[in-house]
Amino acid sequence: MYRIKATSDLLPELTRGPALTVTVNGAAVEAYDGETIAAVLLAAGLWQLRRTRRRGEPRGPYCGMGVCFECLVTVDGTAAVRACLTPVTDGMRIETGQETAP
Amino acid sequence: MSEHCELAVIGAGPAGIEAALAGARAGLSTVLIDQAPAAGGQYYHRSPGAFATPHPTAVEREGQALADQLGPAGVRRIVNALVWGLFKEEDGDGWLITASIAGNNASGTPLKVHAARVVLATGAYDTPLPFPGWTLPGVLTCGAALQLLKSQRVAPFKRVLVSGTGPLLLSVAAHLIDAGVKVVRVCEANRTPLGAVAHAPTLVREWHRLSEGLRYGLSLARGGTPYTQGWSVVAAEGLERVERATIAKLAADGAPIAGTRQTVDVDAVICGYGFTPNTGLARMAGCGFAYDRAARAWLPQRDPHLRSDLPGLYLAGDGAWVAGVGHSRLEGIVAGVTAAFDAGKIDAAGLEALLAPVRPRLAHQRRFGLFLQTHFSPPPGLATLAEADTLLCRCEEVSQAEVRAAVTDGARTLGEVKMLTRTGMGNCQGRMCERGVTAAICRANHSDAAEVGLYAVRPPLVPLTVDFLIRAGED
Repeated sequence: MYRIKATSDLLPELTRGPALTVTVNGAAVEAYDGETIAAVLLAAGLWQLRRTRRRGEPRGPYCGMGVCFECLVTVDGTAAVRACLTPVTDGMRIETGQETAP
Repeated sequence: MSEHCELAVIGAGPAGIEAALAGARAGLSTVLIDQAPAAGGQYYHRSPGAFATPHPTAVEREGQALADQLGPAGVRRIVNALVWGLFKEEDGDGWLITASIAGNNASGTPLKVHAARVVLATGAYDTPLPFPGWTLPGVLTCGAALQLLKSQRVAPFKRVLVSGTGPLLLSVAAHLIDAGVKVVRVCEANRTPLGAVAHAPTLVREWHRLSEGLRYGLSLARGGTPYTQGWSVVAAEGLERVERATIAKLAADGAPIAGTRQTVDVDAVICGYGFTPNTGLARMAGCGFAYDRAARAWLPQRDPHLRSDLPGLYLAGDGAWVAGVGHSRLEGIVAGVTAAFDAGKIDAAGLEALLAPVRPRLAHQRRFGLFLQTHFSPPPGLATLAEADTLLCRCEEVSQAEVRAAVTDGARTLGEVKMLTRTGMGNCQGRMCERGVTAAICRANHSDAAEVGLYAVRPPLVPLTVDFLIRAGED
């Protein structure tokens, strides 16, 4: 939904990898080879990746480079995976909205 | 798994690639370790291998050209590696680097790298600025935004506020506008630096940067985006994500001026208040740090050849002092050839021959870095944006009021506040909260950052599963 179609000298033409199948909380979501989990979720408009333990607040990607650990999601049953660094793979099952800690 | 080498470089950004190339070309068996699959780091933002980019940008071409030299130079690359420890070898000289390879990183394959010498080229991250609402989904850093826009080609926004300090704001805004996003305003916390005239000789040689700035300005004009100096975001609001933001005019010291607050409807706030060197491994290793008043930061101590105060450990690029890509590349060369000299691969004359052409260029890049530091550092009054219930530590959810209470109870240093409140004990190991908690202690205690100190960093540098640690221990 939010994948960039426009091109310019700053954003030259680009072709994504082949389409993949991933599920987010059980629902199929559009994804392409090479994309990170964070990009796939944000492209689908999904910003609340986890909830905090103490205040129960929603959190989403913040630093985008693996430093802040805010974008933790559960991937194929493994908790606390950084969505910003992890590429999607075909058949990946992603769960969001959990109180995640390693 | 374990590897042995004469030189290990941690971080494959501009500084790390150059250090590895310089070391390998001087005859050191060299390993380059990075968390990403492709070399380039945060600056070069190389697209995923699965994407086809028939017309790469100049920056992408520069990154590709650098990375392409690694193989022919004989640099061995270790990719998808999460480095979690750096230790002096128990028996004799050299260093032990511990990492988790691939998998989900927190539980990948354990790897040990035994290296006679190590160059730390760990780069920098956007300096976090706590303000009410800064933990809401939709508040993100310039680094995160550029990664999404340039590398992933996703623009998950409709109306955005860009706020912070420095020329990077213009780049982010221009990319957003080119992607079709409405950028309602760019707030630069500093004001037109009249003192910048003193830097004219330095800036003239940076014409390519000025023309880049003009290019960004054209996008801003096309997008109808005002660029206002002396303003900043002061709050973000929303239920499940950002729905609106408040901006305010700032006094000269950076504190917001009462009565100037305005609200803008946005779905994201992109913040870039300068960069903080990622010094976790240097601290874990035991490098000496000194408080630099001009940089308003604790910086690792280095000699002119970029040696740390520990034998066989070198520090290059933005991971030691932030001055951008040109500076980082040159520092990488200096660290790499110095490591080769210290290892006896080249003699004093050889070292001088390699460093002589680098020195004047490095001096110029240092002047440029000082210009940015002088005129585009976040003004200290921004520390007043956090309110009593604003979280300073995002991981352990510790508010400013709790930090102040710890100071009232007698805590004077970051270490003492950490023990009382758990700030800095969460997943990010204090990288997100160190500046904010430091500022809160200083304000509550009328003290100086130099007295507040640094968080101690102990292994593991990043969260790891118990299962992984057991496997790493058996290895």
